[in-house]
Amino acid sequence: MSSDRIFGLVVLGVALAYIASALQIQTSFLSDPVGPKVFPLMIGGVAVLAALVLLLTPDENPEWPKGATWLHLVIALVVLIAYAYSLRPMGFLVPTAIAAGVVSYQISPNLKTAALTGIGLSAGLFAIFKYALGLGLIALPRAMMG
Amino acid sequence: MEILSNLALGFSVALNPFTLFLAVVGCFLGTIIGALPGLGPSNGVAILIPLAFTMGLDATSALVLLTSVYYGAMYGGRISSILLNIPGDEPALMTTLDGYPMARQGRAGDALVISGVASFVGAMLATIGLVIFAPMLARIAYKFGPAEYFALYLLAFATLGGVGSKNQAKAVIATCIGLGIAMIGLDNSTGMPRFTYGNLHMMDGIDFLVAIVGLFAITEVFFFIETHGKGSAIGVKLEKVTIPIKDLIFTSGAMLRGSGIGFIAGILPGAGASLGSFLAYMAEKSVAGKSGRFGQGDPRGIAAPEAGNNAAAGGALIPMLTLGVPGSGTTAVLLALLMTLNITPGPTLFKDNPEVVWGLIASLLIANVVLLIMNIPMVKIFVKVLMVPAWVLLPGVTMISFVGIYSLTGSYFDLVLMVAFGVMGYFLRKLDIPTVPVILGILLGNKMEDNLRNAMVVSNGDWTYLFSSGIAIGLWTAAILGFVAPIFLRRFLKRPPQPLDAEAD
Amino acid sequence: MRMTLLKALGTSALISLGATTAMATECIAPADAGGGWDFTCRQIGKLLYDLKLVPNPVQVTNMAGAGGGLAYANVVNERNTDADLIVAASSATTTRLAQNAYGGATADQVRWVGTIGGDPGVIVVAKDSPFQTLSDLVEAIKADPSKVTFAGGSAAGGFDHLKPLMIMKVAGFTDARSVKYIGLNGGAEAITQTIGGFTQAMTGDISEITGFIRSGDVRALAILTPERVAGFEDIPTAKEQGYDVVVVNWRGLYVPKGISDDAFNAWATKLQAVADSAEWKAVMEANGLAPFTLVGADFQGWIDGVVADTTVLSREIGVIQ
Repeated sequence: MSSDRIFGLVVLGVALAYIASALQIQTSFLSDPVGPKVFPLMIGGVAVLAALVLLLTPDENPEWPKGATWLHLVIALVVLIAYAYSLRPMGFLVPTAIAAGVVSYQISPNLKTAALTGIGLSAGLFAIFKYALGLGLIALPRAMMG
Repeated sequence: MEILSNLALGFSVALNPFTLFLAVVGCFLGTIIGALPGLGPSNGVAILIPLAFTMGLDATSALVLLTSVYYGAMYGGRISSILLNIPGDEPALMTTLDGYPMARQGRAGDALVISGVASFVGAMLATIGLVIFAPMLARIAYKFGPAEYFALYLLAFATLGGVGSKNQAKAVIATCIGLGIAMIGLDNSTGMPRFTYGNLHMMDGIDFLVAIVGLFAITEVFFFIETHGKGSAIGVKLEKVTIPIKDLIFTSGAMLRGSGIGFIAGILPGAGASLGSFLAYMAEKSVAGKSGRFGQGDPRGIAAPEAGNNAAAGGALIPMLTLGVPGSGTTAVLLALLMTLNITPGPTLFKDNPEVVWGLIASLLIANVVLLIMNIPMVKIFVKVLMVPAWVLLPGVTMISFVGIYSLTGSYFDLVLMVAFGVMGYFLRKLDIPTVPVILGILLGNKMEDNLRNAMVVSNGDWTYLFSSGIAIGLWTAAILGFVAPIFLRRFLKRPPQPLDAEAD
Repeated sequence: MRMTLLKALGTSALISLGATTAMATECIAPADAGGGWDFTCRQIGKLLYDLKLVPNPVQVTNMAGAGGGLAYANVVNERNTDADLIVAASSATTTRLAQNAYGGATADQVRWVGTIGGDPGVIVVAKDSPFQTLSDLVEAIKADPSKVTFAGGSAAGGFDHLKPLMIMKVAGFTDARSVKYIGLNGGAEAITQTIGGFTQAMTGDISEITGFIRSGDVRALAILTPERVAGFEDIPTAKEQGYDVVVVNWRGLYVPKGISDDAFNAWATKLQAVADSAEWKAVMEANGLAPFTLVGADFQGWIDGVVADTTVLSREIGVIQ
């Protein structure tokens, strides 16, 4: 099955779920003539139509990445999400160095340059954001700052 | 000549060695801030307001510094659009469409110079327009009620089909994704939560900056990991940076038309710079017709939206100064600045505080000239970005995106959301689904809905109210033509020529 | 980009010499820049520093979300003991708390420092409007509510919407749902739509429209204060026109619940000093604010009363069930 058809089915499913969810929106006691449901329902309806058109007229398949590349992509994804959660509890410097290093390694697998990139970016960006732009970044975990 | 004496007053306030120095510093900082993904003119100015007070600047100096940052950021937004395919801020979105293809062809320098000049032309014309017409043009805002705004947004969405993708259904799906995301949050008309599933972070909806940075910057990182940078602009052999006189002459019409469209969009408080640059691009595309190579590196595709967004930024000052209505996030910040200085904009501002208004206008003119002078030689430095190896540049862009978004909302929720947008952007781009309509849907979806519903409240549910004024009918006609024309034209014309570098997509 | 960034560092190091970010007081404006909360933070923040009440410039953070609910939740859940934090608040804050619009948060989860100014409510019409007095407007709505739409700067059910509903209730008109209202993005947009003739009247705070009143583009039908306000003596009060409705949007601050009594009292004293300063009086005059100062324990008690009243009122009018 072509990628476009799969995507069309996904859009169709999401659009139907969206419509179902829109029907659940509570209408306030004070409401306008149109109400909060109509516009989301219109969007859902148009999306369903467009998804059907896509199912009927798919384009050619794109070239999807192969096994090892998927692995690199997933590693990068996991690292970015972990980075998002660690910024606050662990401060800026350490998570940034690790995340930047890993992403760098995924793009170009060279341990030395990746490590240098991570440390360099972490320190450099911290200096720039903290002292030049005055953002309130925390360098290290709050606990370590005393 | 009253205007000239007023301008003289303005320059007497704003022009001295110290403020000129501030203008240079402000323009430089602004350009850098604008170029960083996630940091745009709004948060750039917001970040620097406390700085201005720390330095103990007086009102005029603070105004000069911050307007320079504002204009600098408007200029700077295009740099990462062209070099990295990542818009620095939302008005620079359209510049990616032709700017990045030019960079991939080794013409990054030309693209930067053309866009720099276009920005200058747009901003200059808008400032002149502001000087001459401000009190008169303020009245235009009174002509736009809910029905007119609804038709204006409809016009923008109707022409979306012409952006990118060969398959119109894909553009429609992209628009629906954007509009659907825009619906998340508290419903403005009734205050009821929609699609929030009890999550407090979703109450205020999805910030479009989170979406832009995710869909462009994070997606770019995934693409780099997949392709190891093949087909990107990084590492492409650059042509020598010269001033492309021929292109500048060729695009002068596009700059003028873009400025006009952008200026008008700027004056309307509900429209703003993004819509200005979008409409300027689409108009230029239809003016060019068959001769255009839009989407593949047509210089007019850079000149028009850049002139448009900078002219809109100038135009947006009109409702801000004369009505106190901030037309965009950026003018909202300037409004906050004026209010901190204890100046409340409104219809009597020009009369009550002429030194502030004309000082502001003079500092805009100064900032604009400083930027042009500074930017042309700086192009040589900017294109060097492309010589930084991808394994440094891309992690750098990612980390800047994270800090930019984190400084904006202070919430890890938005960071995770940004990564999710990055994943979505990866699949959308793989399937040749344009991402610009997604952003536009998020930006304009709520305003479109609110205006439709307000129109129905005002008219007691009478749908004919939507076509009740000349302006509304004109916009509807343009919208219908804009939607139907490409379908018909496509039958008569052959398929659009394939991109030269199609394999890189 | 890295190279240019480093250059930027050099340039901006020059201008950030004086910027010490360590332990600066932070003021959260729970909305985007340009609105009333932003105004409160920036004005009070500036005066706190100018009057040397705090050692460093006050850093204003705009934390927009859920009509202030996001900032409220953030303060309650994550900054509960931060003694260097102040948060801008107004009647919109208490109205939403009273209507349970902050996702279950209640007014006793923070400490209310004080208010240092009141922004009187107003009802205005365009200068060419047929309505000359508040009674003209009220009677027109009574005759046919579908003919009059109010524009305001808050969402439906919000503070601006309550003003006309309260007037109509006093006038003996109880069908709140038939009074038409559109919520726009701030008072300035509401006034633009009203001058343009798309809506028949505007409900808001006087600070939002002082320029328009002075330029003569609009006519204020009523100001919702007990007595006429200095600087706007020709605007009649609703009360003197027979509609006893007083709605003043207070502007003030709250702080986290978990700070010490000493820290709380210190903030109350500082706020009182700001309120007493000549600079603040000038700011109030320029922006149409009326003097309205209550700090510390007095304010805390007043807030409890306001929240209880608003809850009762919202239920009576039918904004909440």
